Order: sequence, then C-alpha cells, then structure tokens
Amino acid sequence: MSVTIRIIPCLDVRNGRVVKGINFEDIVDAGDPAEAAKRYDLEGADEICMLDIDASYEARSTTLDTVEKIANQVFIPFTVGGGVKSVQDVEVLLRSGADKVSINTSAIINPKLIAEASKEFGSQCIVVAIDAKFNGKNWSVYTHGGKNKTELDALSWSKNVEQLGAGEILMTSMDKDGTKSGFDNNLNETLANDLNIPLIASGGAGELNHLVDAIKIGKADAVLAASIFHYEEISIRKVKEALKREGLEVRL
Amino acid sequence: MKVGVIDYGASNIFSVVRALNSLGASTKIIKTPEDFKNIDKLVFPGQGSMGSCSKKLSENNLRDSLINALNNLPFLGICLGLQILFSESEESEGQKGLNIFSEKIEKFNEFEDKTIKIPHMGWNQVEISQNHFLLKGIKSNEDFYFVHSFASKEANQNEIFTKTFHGEIFNSAVGKDNIFATQFHPEKSGKSGLKMLKNFLDWKI
Repeated sequence: MSVTIRIIPCLDVRNGRVVKGINFEDIVDAGDPAEAAKRYDLEGADEICMLDIDASYEARSTTLDTVEKIANQVFIPFTVGGGVKSVQDVEVLLRSGADKVSINTSAIINPKLIAEASKEFGSQCIVVAIDAKFNGKNWSVYTHGGKNKTELDALSWSKNVEQLGAGEILMTSMDKDGTKSGFDNNLNETLANDLNIPLIASGGAGELNHLVDAIKIGKADAVLAASIFHYEEISIRKVKEALKREGLEVRL
Repeated sequence: MKVGVIDYGASNIFSVVRALNSLGASTKIIKTPEDFKNIDKLVFPGQGSMGSCSKKLSENNLRDSLINALNNLPFLGICLGLQILFSESEESEGQKGLNIFSEKIEKFNEFEDKTIKIPHMGWNQVEISQNHFLLKGIKSNEDFYFVHSFASKEANQNEIFTKTFHGEIFNSAVGKDNIFATQFHPEKSGKSGLKMLKNFLDWKI
C-alpha cells in the first residue's frame, strides 16, 4: 500500500454560512464554515471540501471571503466547488486559498475547460464532479445540481475527463444522495476498475459500515460526506479506526 | 525575523505564506534579486516542472541571489524546491538544477499494481532515517501530504533524513548544513506539518 484512504467532510455553503437541507429545500443554517472546517481538521479530516450551493454571480465575493477564512485556519488540502465556469474562476479560487477546484456543469458544457485548467495549474488541482443516476442500464450524468439530464454515461464521461487532464473524480450518486442508505458501490466499482485517477465516492453515507463498504466494495480512494460528520453522528476517527481494522491504510 | 518566500513566477506560494503567518512569522515575497535584502530565512515552495522552474529562475535573474542565499541562510525547499537542489531531473533533460546535491531526480517506476498511482498524491508515511532539528517532536512514520511524479531515489546516505514508500522507496527529505528540503508539503500536512515549519522558524545555524 501507499497513500492512505482519505476521509473528506464536505461543507455546503450559502451566503457565507454552512447550510443543510434535503435536496436543497428546507434549508437551515448550520454554522460558520471556518469554525466547522477547523473542527474537522482537529478531528483528523484528510481534506476539506466546500461546495458553494448558491454560486450566483452576486454572491461570489462572499464565497471568496469564506474560502480565504477557511484557508487561513486549516492546513490540510482544501477543495472548493460550485459555479466554476472559466480558467479565471479557477485561478481566483486558487489565489483565495483553495488547493483544488471542483468543476461540474461547466465541464460538460465546455470540456475544453478541464484541459485548459489542468494545463495551466496542474492536474493535481482539478477535480471533476459528476452527478449521476441509474437509468436501468447504466448511469446518466446530470447537470445544474441534478436538474438537467444529459446524454452522457457516467463511465464514458469519467474516462473522457481523465484523458482531458482531470486529477480526480468526485462521483455523487443522485439515487443515494440524502438517503443515508449507503453509497452506490456498483457505480463506484464500475468506475474505479476503469480509472487511473483517484475516485472520491459521495452520496448515501448514513452509518459507519457504509463508508467502509465504499472503500472495500466500491473501491473508492476517498469518501466524502456532509451531514453525518456535521451533526457528529459518526466521528472521523471512528471511520478511520474501522478502516484500519479492515487492514486499510489510514492517517490516525 | 523575516522569512523570504520565493515566487519565481509559477508556484502557488499562498498556502506556505498562510501557514508561516499563522505561526507568527512575518514573510516577504521574493520576486527580484533586490528582494533578498533583509531576510533571515528562505523558503522555496516550488511547483510545476523542474525545467520551467530552472528557466524562470534564470529569466528573473534569481539564480545567483538564490545560490548566495543557499550558502548563508537557513533554507527550506518544498516539493519542486527539493528537486531543484539536485543536479538534474529526468523530467527536463538538459536543464540544470542548482547542484547542491549531485544526484539526479528520477521518474517513479511504473507498476502493474493499480493502487500505485502516478502522480503520488495524498497522505503517506514519512520514516525518519536520521534526526534533524526540523524533525523535532515528529515521530517516525507520521503521515504527510504529497503531490509529485518525480522523486529523489539516489542520494548520499548522510544527506537523507526521511524515506517514503510508493511502490518503491524514495527520499522524502534531504539536507545538509543550513539546507533542508522535503518532497512533501508541510504547509498542507496538518499538525505534523505545522510542527515542522515551527521547527524551521526556531532553527539556528
């Protein structure tokens, strides 16, 4: 073995506050992002992810301000996503303190963005996020936070973004997201068997075993979760101890 | 005390500056030979390829001042800031490094094992092979954060301080006299990394 399995808590942020809601509805305030990020760092998170769920043009300066506040307090890798449309957007986020930038919808509208951004800043800082749903045969890719279905299939799209220069894939199962019934290990394993870049599994974490299965069965390199960590339902340390018991390498 | 941080034109220096500032150090960004005045220590947080780094150092007239500083000041090289200290790299044949260490930077071997991915990116164990002031309070085999595709495999035994395994063993920290350099990113390695940076700030030569 070499690098450790990564546990990545995710902060959904809107107007400078952590928010929680089901399918982006009934949103409630869940605290200060920098405070939450700092707590995760102390609890042993391997990276922090922040997703700007509003990402409107008007809210951009608030977002950058939040990125900077987190970066000033947290000294582990920090990924930021939401509303990234251009190479310049990537640059501004990196300058504000992000180590990696996650691109979703704009990568589909303009795949060249992946190539340009990874050439400019290096593959290591370009994460492509994919939202997908099972259609009975394979997994369809959706854009705009899961609103619009595309013709793309998750497996071929992920191979495509790897070739374009993405450094990692953040795979969210829309079937599982918010259900707390476990990750889509079929989807993840299908991708992991074919990809040479790391795969981050997202969507469905509800209990400890789900995270372990995402690694053991889903073959993911990292797991991302929001609410289970936010409400301290499961501690990061407990997840890592469970992974270690399974013989997997973790940072404790 | 003022820590100079080299910005040769292609590196993301902000995280290093943030980490040093969080430890109470004041920093000065170094872009020209004049900027080397009035600094007490120097950090080189390189990124990108060794060839373009070497070229940019020459283009910006930083090479001579840098070599001068390497002879005098406590120096910490990070990532490409370690690789540039060697004579050359397989990544950019023909481009000269700073030759503080006479060996070569090499590409990782390719492995059938799919869990060994290149670039080597993520947290990995750092085994201490020789004590150093900068490693004070850090236990052998603590995890640090790496992002790189080339590495130091050959070096003088006296100049190797830590080793790491990624399909094969490579030197993850080297040093001599006033110079210390890490392949990993202490500024992104949480508590362990901050401890090392604090040691660097306390380091007297």
